[in-house]
Amino acid sequence: MDVRLKVKRQDGTQPDSSHYDEYTVEMPEGATMLDALLQVRDYEDGGLALRYSCRSSICGSCAMRVNGRARLACKTKASDMANGDEPILVEPLGNMPVIKDLVTDMEVHWDKVRRITPWLENSGPEPEREHIVMHETMVDVSNALSCIQCGACVSDCTVLEVDKHFIGPAAFAKAYRFVGDPRDDTTMDRLKALSSAKGGIWDCTRCNICVEVCPKDIRPMDRIMQLREQVVNAGVEGGIGARHGTAFAGSVRRTGRLDEVRLLPESVGMFNAPRLLKELPGAFRMMRAGKLPWKDTLPLFSKPIAGIAHVRRLFDNARSEKKEAKR
Amino acid sequence: MRYAFWPGCVSKGACPELYESMILTSAKLGIELEELYDGNCTGAGVISEHEPELADALNARNFAMAQKMGLDLINICSTCQGVQSLVQEKLDRDEEYRAKINAQLAEEGLEYKPGLVIKNFMWVLAEDLGLDKLKEQVVRPLTGLRCGPFYGCYILRPSRILGMEEHPERDDYLEQIIAAVGAEAVEYEGKDKCCGFPILTNNRKNSLTQTGTHIHEAKNQGADCLVTPCPLCHLNLDAQQPSAAEVIERELNVPIIHLPQLIGLALGIDPDKLRMNRHVIGTQAVIDKVLAAVEA
Amino acid sequence: MTVFQHDVLVIGAGLAGMRAAIEAARNGADVALVTKLHPMRSHSGAAQGGINAALGEEDSWESHAFDTVKGSDYLADQDAVEIFAREAPGDIIELERMGTSFSRTEDGKIAQRPFGGAGFPRTCFIADITGQAILHVVYEQVLKLGITVYQEYFCTSLIVEDGEVRGVIAMPMITGDLAVMQGKAVIMATGGLGRVYAPTTNAIACTGDGMAISYMAGAPLQDMEFMQFHPTSLKDSGVLMTEGARGEGGYLLNSEGDRFMGKYAPNKFELASRDVVSRAEQTEINEGRGIDGCVLLDVRHLGEEKISERLWQIRELAIDLTNTDMVHEPVKVRPGAHYAMGGIKTDVDGAAPLPGLFAAGECANVSVHGSNRLGGNSLLDTIVFGRRAGVAAAAYVKQVASKSQISEAALAEDQNRIQQWMATKGSGGERPAVIRGEMGRMMREDLGIFRAREKLDSALAKIVELKGRFENVRLEDTGKVFNLDLLSIFELGGMLDVAHAMVAGALAREESRGAHTRLDFPERNDEKWLKHTVASRKEDGSPQLDYADVTMTKWEPEVRTY
Repeated sequence: MDVRLKVKRQDGTQPDSSHYDEYTVEMPEGATMLDALLQVRDYEDGGLALRYSCRSSICGSCAMRVNGRARLACKTKASDMANGDEPILVEPLGNMPVIKDLVTDMEVHWDKVRRITPWLENSGPEPEREHIVMHETMVDVSNALSCIQCGACVSDCTVLEVDKHFIGPAAFAKAYRFVGDPRDDTTMDRLKALSSAKGGIWDCTRCNICVEVCPKDIRPMDRIMQLREQVVNAGVEGGIGARHGTAFAGSVRRTGRLDEVRLLPESVGMFNAPRLLKELPGAFRMMRAGKLPWKDTLPLFSKPIAGIAHVRRLFDNARSEKKEAKR
Repeated sequence: MRYAFWPGCVSKGACPELYESMILTSAKLGIELEELYDGNCTGAGVISEHEPELADALNARNFAMAQKMGLDLINICSTCQGVQSLVQEKLDRDEEYRAKINAQLAEEGLEYKPGLVIKNFMWVLAEDLGLDKLKEQVVRPLTGLRCGPFYGCYILRPSRILGMEEHPERDDYLEQIIAAVGAEAVEYEGKDKCCGFPILTNNRKNSLTQTGTHIHEAKNQGADCLVTPCPLCHLNLDAQQPSAAEVIERELNVPIIHLPQLIGLALGIDPDKLRMNRHVIGTQAVIDKVLAAVEA
Repeated sequence: MTVFQHDVLVIGAGLAGMRAAIEAARNGADVALVTKLHPMRSHSGAAQGGINAALGEEDSWESHAFDTVKGSDYLADQDAVEIFAREAPGDIIELERMGTSFSRTEDGKIAQRPFGGAGFPRTCFIADITGQAILHVVYEQVLKLGITVYQEYFCTSLIVEDGEVRGVIAMPMITGDLAVMQGKAVIMATGGLGRVYAPTTNAIACTGDGMAISYMAGAPLQDMEFMQFHPTSLKDSGVLMTEGARGEGGYLLNSEGDRFMGKYAPNKFELASRDVVSRAEQTEINEGRGIDGCVLLDVRHLGEEKISERLWQIRELAIDLTNTDMVHEPVKVRPGAHYAMGGIKTDVDGAAPLPGLFAAGECANVSVHGSNRLGGNSLLDTIVFGRRAGVAAAAYVKQVASKSQISEAALAEDQNRIQQWMATKGSGGERPAVIRGEMGRMMREDLGIFRAREKLDSALAKIVELKGRFENVRLEDTGKVFNLDLLSIFELGGMLDVAHAMVAGALAREESRGAHTRLDFPERNDEKWLKHTVASRKEDGSPQLDYADVTMTKWEPEVRTY
């Protein structure tokens, strides 16, 4: 089959040098994007720069954007990417500087990995032999650490697009690997740090992009949610992010529905005057537009649904079980 | 076509115009809605962060009520769709877990059985009603109106959970619907990205930068308005738009239309009845363009 | 001229390199890792099945050692094997304490699975991502210790002055400007050379660089003719399907649906050692009982649950690369070039005969694998001998006087090579991919599982021809930043040298032993050939072959059956 590629070329030292080159290569059916790009590099254009190594989705080198989405080139079939008359669009990963062509500078990511104390901390007396640990726990940890640090999620993360301080999906997944590991004895310190850090766990928007693009099914966002759950369960101060969750659940428990009017003050803090003042113009605008009817702004009037007793029982069930489990 | 209708909390709260336009538009399309008056909030993915099992039970309660009515479930919120699909996948996959959740529903006389069909209004238009049928009912083609589609994360991702293997065009329905009602879909980068709403309280700057950036891009591509099937996106895109404009230091002023409003306009429903006047960013320019097209 | 200075330079940041660096740092040396990749991209991460150690109460290090010696077809040095097997349990426990998430038994201890050629289930594992999981943890320790890492630095040559190693010349990919990296000791840990074959299970980066530059600098390579063919690699890509699939109970079937291994290894079946299984597969294929040049690996009877928990990576690879879901159908596999038993000759502390040079891991030959390595022993090799090399290098540098001045001549030679290649752009020379492709096919055909004089003669002629053509190789990219074209030419030059030593060794060894099967000399001949092949590079680039004795301690050679 003929594979047509449109590849973004760029010399990182010359920011204005970016342009696209088109190539057509003859490949066997089932060829991957990496096969096609290597064919280009070996026989068409020796100057094309890209990273690669294992060809089996384990080394994490060859992540790049194909048709606008981050993918591992060695795991992506060229035939699946073909889009009619258009060539397949190949670009470097996003959210990081380009060194040359498809090669990006991943230091921005490795720096974040260093921020999460990426090694097991255990100050206790060493066991005589191995630590005795439940098999299921090790499977959970292994699943999280089967992340190959390819950077696909970092590339497409929608929070990193607007905030370079965000620790990011892959580094959080790595953080979870230690929080979830019973052999680590700094769980509380880790949770505190992850919760209070600039760009910490509460800044994730839950947009699911990382889950979607991850070639290894690590579900980084779910790891972030597990971290949030652990922060709350451990009673660590979670700030506005954690209060938002509590207020949200409180609203549903009270009325069966979400009560946006009370959600904001309860999340940012009832007495957080500066922040509340910031929100006033917005609230005003909404009232004027008829979006927040006056009667609803007085919480006394928000009526619960008919089955509220059942809803509350579901809450009580879940919470008593949790207490039970803690004991 | 009859559905158990879950309107979501926002259409009953801060976006009453969504609820009212949905009622009118559906009636006109011949879609009958049996509202789940006693339904509860899906938790919007927030409750599941801290209390996943509770969130599953809350959603199973809604599912079981729809099943009791013998109807498929329809929603008008990308976030509701995302949460419902995720919970359903968990419940359908794991019999033991399902039994545990069902035990809690039993006292209310409810039981969830796997396989409920749960569809957002957008999916219903494309898959159940059909775009040809929709086209036939258009009396006021929205010729010349340039609409930026804005999906909302939870109706797109994770794609496997959202049935994209079976329905690979679910990430293109908005464009198809916009075309079916005679308008023109505008391509821009942010259409499938995050509106920023979930972190509005926690990180206002990031949230508003996201919202502002997407609106600005769409505007640059010549969009007259954005159309969204998600009221939570709407809240950030519309109600927060003036603040977002300040944060990104750009002039925006782009109306944000709910999907049922867009359909309603094309079906000839009076814009006032669709509550087009209940937006923070005025929609008059959109209405004028639509009416002008009819006269021309 | 950029100059970096450290006590110990470790070239390669896979498991052997990082383990060596950690130990050298713990022993007080100023260490730096120099790798042409990023440490996390190293090919150790692709090791799937496991790492051996006699942890079980009924198991013993002697049993592990015996299995290893038998697996080696008695070519391993038994003193080295004894150290290897004895120190294994301690190293596994240490890896566990560092944070390795070994799969567990029901009572929470490290679980062990059966592996080929082993008399006991002694392979520790993390699902089928063992290498990757350990690579993560060892890298974490590198970060914790703050060891300097020069990543994406390609070593172009070893600096030797007055008969001692003084450092390396390296090219940072990001700038392309050669740098002098001064070190009192250099530990080579660059891994394998699988890329001299096509296809191979090895990563594209496995081009034998460390062996090549050490050989070029005067260090001898040992037992290079022994190349392991892994019994289960995917047909076109050569990608690996772990031995764990058979360890967990998978079958090999021929086109008639027979579990043919019963004929070749009536006791061990699929879990005979790798040379035996690969030969059996190739025989089935050659005799017309193959399917598309392959046999079938069948794990369906293990059930979806076990496959998804313990073999999920290979299941995904088979789906991605061959559209085959192993839960529902068998996957086509064939023997694939996998592991170089040979390498830089070292003693049990990793020291090469060239003062200041150490080596560990696949690029070294201690020798514990002899003529055939057992599955699960290569990861262990990286950890045990990586650690030992780290200790030895740290001790060595303490005896070396102050850092000597390196003459600019060392750098100039490599700079000249680059300039000459740069001038070939637009010339009529051949592209490196063409020469590399011909070498790979030739190695597969003539230096494959079954070998014979005629083919080996033609292989020798071919390698000489390819070396001649390499003199006219053409470079196309003359830029400085991330010049992969230049990198591939450096790599190819080294591979041709190393392949030459492999072919020469195979041609000379007139017997069949382990992975080296001569159709014209089908028997093992202990009288004449129970000895190591030692290749030294002559001025003209061809290998000079000498032979060295095998160290025997406890185990006399016996007839080898499984």
